[in-house]
Amino acid sequence: MRIPMIGCLLCGLLMTMLPNHALSEPKASIESALDLLMYDQPSDPPLLLAQSYRPSLKEEEPEFEEQPDTMPDPFEPVNRFFFNFNDKLYFWAYKPVASGYKIAVPEDIRHGVKNFFSNLTAPVRLVNCLLQANFKGAGNETIRLLLNSTLGMAGFLDPAQKELGIEKREEDFGQTLGVWGMGPLFYVEWPFLGASSLRDAVGFAGDILLDPKTYLIKSIPVGLAVRTYDQVNDTSFRIGEYEDFKRNAIDPYIAKREAYHQYRQHKIKKR
Amino acid sequence: MLQIFLLQVILLLSLTFGMEPITFAGEPQEQLRQTTDKVLAILSDPALKSHNKLKERRELILKVVDERFDWEEMARRSLARHWAQRSPEEKQEFTILFKELLERVYMDKVEGYSWNKIAYEGEHIDGDYAAVKVKVFTARDQTIQVEYRTRKKGHQWVVYDFIIEGVGLVNNYRTQFNEIILKSSYQELVKRLKTKSTQN
Repeated sequence: MRIPMIGCLLCGLLMTMLPNHALSEPKASIESALDLLMYDQPSDPPLLLAQSYRPSLKEEEPEFEEQPDTMPDPFEPVNRFFFNFNDKLYFWAYKPVASGYKIAVPEDIRHGVKNFFSNLTAPVRLVNCLLQANFKGAGNETIRLLLNSTLGMAGFLDPAQKELGIEKREEDFGQTLGVWGMGPLFYVEWPFLGASSLRDAVGFAGDILLDPKTYLIKSIPVGLAVRTYDQVNDTSFRIGEYEDFKRNAIDPYIAKREAYHQYRQHKIKKR
Repeated sequence: MLQIFLLQVILLLSLTFGMEPITFAGEPQEQLRQTTDKVLAILSDPALKSHNKLKERRELILKVVDERFDWEEMARRSLARHWAQRSPEEKQEFTILFKELLERVYMDKVEGYSWNKIAYEGEHIDGDYAAVKVKVFTARDQTIQVEYRTRKKGHQWVVYDFIIEGVGLVNNYRTQFNEIILKSSYQELVKRLKTKSTQN
């Protein structure tokens, strides 16, 4: 049991010691330097792909798992209460409002609104990329912010993605803490905000401090209204997803908690 | 110091040469591609697009998927350590119930998001196991990252789990089932699965 663990550690060390090919290659022109900053490499060499997997797929045999990796949930009764609250909130408030909004407002405009809000939070993603030492991601976010705020009509359009293929980097402070080695600690289901963990709740507070909206909008009720509108606009694109999810779950609360856990771990690893 | 160095060398060597080269690279991906190509062809078939053909289309898709998905293995994995405690009859019953559930999940994903195109982003083979990564482009202009976990069964690579945006489907059910069994009983789980199957 110990040898493979040491092996993994050592391999990990070796991998980090090997120079990153992208950084080590001398880039002569500014153009290629920009290239490096701007573009993802959609198809990394197979070696890199293999590295992102765990050493052996076989170890995932259920028999070998003594302790399945689940999210600790010491406050389950409270969380379940707020899960039901959020469930009702979706069906009684968000869904009808978002459905009406979806009929009333053309898709292009809703997309514009989504882009606008997303562009506003670019600083959050940029800073978190930097905190994770993801300089390419930070470069991407900088270019996206500059380009979309100007050519993209204050962020309503997304020419950075449409014309140049520079994708958004969904990084937040919860993920940054995860990259720094912090576990999720335990599950928290917040009223209105939904699934989270103690780590991600701390992260959420950090992200609010980085969000320009916090400083641009002085009045708290207006701030809340703006955030709710953002939420409704977002929901208008995703009506039906939660219904599907709920229909397919045997215990929707556990399904949501574990899906959140796995999704966050995936995002932290993906960087 | 020297010992650590030697250990590193051994580990590196075992990494490079330790894998058994039985399988040709690309085989799991190729087989999966054949299946998904068939599904996409059925989805885009104009003759099957009308509403009253929905049932027929579903049956056609499930027939294709049936050959590639290892339902029993999925059922076994979803019960994990509780599987061994079940009688052969119970195992059979559970496999059928779980299969029905997963077929619905799969149809929801495929129909609900109207899959358009699939890009293959590489595979990772480890002996009799392989992971195939794909990116699904939907009609709604979204992209979804899906990873198929497959294992070799005869000459076929069969799917035993799929992971959507990092969330493993069988894995997720395993946690749900485990907690239901521990809190109440296996019988309660079967009861709930049966209710689900009549609801949908």
